[in-house]
Amino acid sequence: MWECPSGHDRVTCRARKGAPTVAETMTYAFLILSVITLLGALLAVLLRNLVHCVLSLILFFLGVAGHYFLLRADFLAAVQILIYIGAVAVLILFAIMLTRNVTGTEGPREVFGMKWWSGGVIAAALAAGVLRAVINDPVSQAGSSAQANSSVAEIGKALVGHWVVPFEAMAVLLTAALIGAVVIALEEVMRRR
Amino acid sequence: MESLYQVLRDCSWFAKLPDGLLFWISVLVPIGLIVAVYPAIFAYTTLIERKALGRIQNRIGPNRVGRWGILQPLADGAKLLTKEDIVPRAADRFVHGLAPVIAVIPSLLLFAVVPVGARLVPVDLNIGILFVFAISTGSVLALFMGGWASRNKFSLLGAMRAVAQVVSYEVPMVLAAVVVVMAAGSLSTVAIAEAQGGGILNISNWYVFRPWGFVGFVLFLIGAMAESARTPFDIPEAESEIIAGYHTEYSGFKFALFQLGEYLAAIAMAGITATMFLGGYNGPGSDLKYIGPVVGVFWFFAKLMSLIFVIIWIRGTWPRIRVDQLMGFAWKVLLPMSVVNIFAAAVYHFLNPKPLAWVVTAVGLLVAWVILSKVGAPNAIEKRVYRYAS
Repeated sequence: MWECPSGHDRVTCRARKGAPTVAETMTYAFLILSVITLLGALLAVLLRNLVHCVLSLILFFLGVAGHYFLLRADFLAAVQILIYIGAVAVLILFAIMLTRNVTGTEGPREVFGMKWWSGGVIAAALAAGVLRAVINDPVSQAGSSAQANSSVAEIGKALVGHWVVPFEAMAVLLTAALIGAVVIALEEVMRRR
Repeated sequence: MESLYQVLRDCSWFAKLPDGLLFWISVLVPIGLIVAVYPAIFAYTTLIERKALGRIQNRIGPNRVGRWGILQPLADGAKLLTKEDIVPRAADRFVHGLAPVIAVIPSLLLFAVVPVGARLVPVDLNIGILFVFAISTGSVLALFMGGWASRNKFSLLGAMRAVAQVVSYEVPMVLAAVVVVMAAGSLSTVAIAEAQGGGILNISNWYVFRPWGFVGFVLFLIGAMAESARTPFDIPEAESEIIAGYHTEYSGFKFALFQLGEYLAAIAMAGITATMFLGGYNGPGSDLKYIGPVVGVFWFFAKLMSLIFVIIWIRGTWPRIRVDQLMGFAWKVLLPMSVVNIFAAAVYHFLNPKPLAWVVTAVGLLVAWVILSKVGAPNAIEKRVYRYAS
């Protein structure tokens, strides 16, 4: 890889005169990804047609996956796409198909209804709380030079080593959800017979 | 791409060019090759399919356009390009137009992690197999969008059945791939292909020759055929049942894009199957010093075309599965089998000596299959009850 003659490290060195450093490129990428993510999130609540809202929510999920890639958590990014877009978004689409007001032509016409300011106040309060928690967290105060060791092997070892009790609890929860889904479907089948 | 960049930098003729140009060359050459080679394979796969189906059905396929129908794909492409693009008046124009594009993009992205030869992979991701599954869930969305936006009851029905089928068959497919990841110790497709090198004639280490690998191969192939909605799983586009399912209201180039996406997904999945179970580019002569990589490329494409032929063969000979039989088969037969397969692979990994492990796991998998076919399958595949006919 590139060896800098002046002894810079890989993040701050310019590969040649006029080229952006890795840090600058990451900043541009972060800005573009943030615009896409925020656009997806805004459109998901502002659009009138519900299916269009879900599609922009999918754009939002893709933006979040991009942010995970930027943070070098590639396993998490791939799992985000697999689970959120492949399962959660499909579930939301199925649920939307069962509602009636999909095209947005019935019901209240305005997106900014009568009490939109109360929603804004609650959102601002939540945002302030989350920002405070994130800024005071020791991981974020360590700065961007902290390297995450998040290879798949490490995640696997952590899941069955240090975090084995939450892992097993999640497995029990998922089994319960699966059995519940089968029971609900079974009632329908019994009722139909 | 990275290895191409290194090779260009080391070669004295190219090293004189500026660094940025080398970077762009090393990025655009693999992309250009993918865009040139794989749609060409798609075009001739459609021809091979029609000829092969024709022979299976005791007739000759297309033979009018050029000798043996060689120019038929060009004629098909020209026809679809010049057809009128009809969009139903009540359809959602934006989503209707977006669906074919979203059908093609995941299928093209899948080719980025398929190793065509030794060190000849466009992107060497260390989460290669996970990337494959994450991207293939994107094509589910295209099915749904196409069916919904057409504002057509048959399209919507086709879309719902298609999404249910694809999501159900993803689970045994992923679990069948887990076995290979366990054996190779890495999610990267390059590492999986390399782990199957060596052995007698570079063949005996292929995972398909282990019992758990063979079962995994069959499961993965069934899952791949269901993912790309090929017969016997072509409920989404069952021509005799729901007209054309989710792509009823598409004509001209948008229909061509749907076909492109579907066939490219099938070809990419065949490539991934060849990499995971059939040893990728490994074959006799692929470890020779100078022509080894070329021989490897030949072996990879030979395996790819054989798998495509098997998929076409199955399409021509087996009938379509009913939709409730399809779901029952996925959840009650394939899923338990793939879980048992994971156990078998773990047992094989830890038992020494290997011949004993081979026999033990083969016997275990056979027993599991017999039990499942006696217990699971009759429950899954119920006989049709004709209420008014008896």
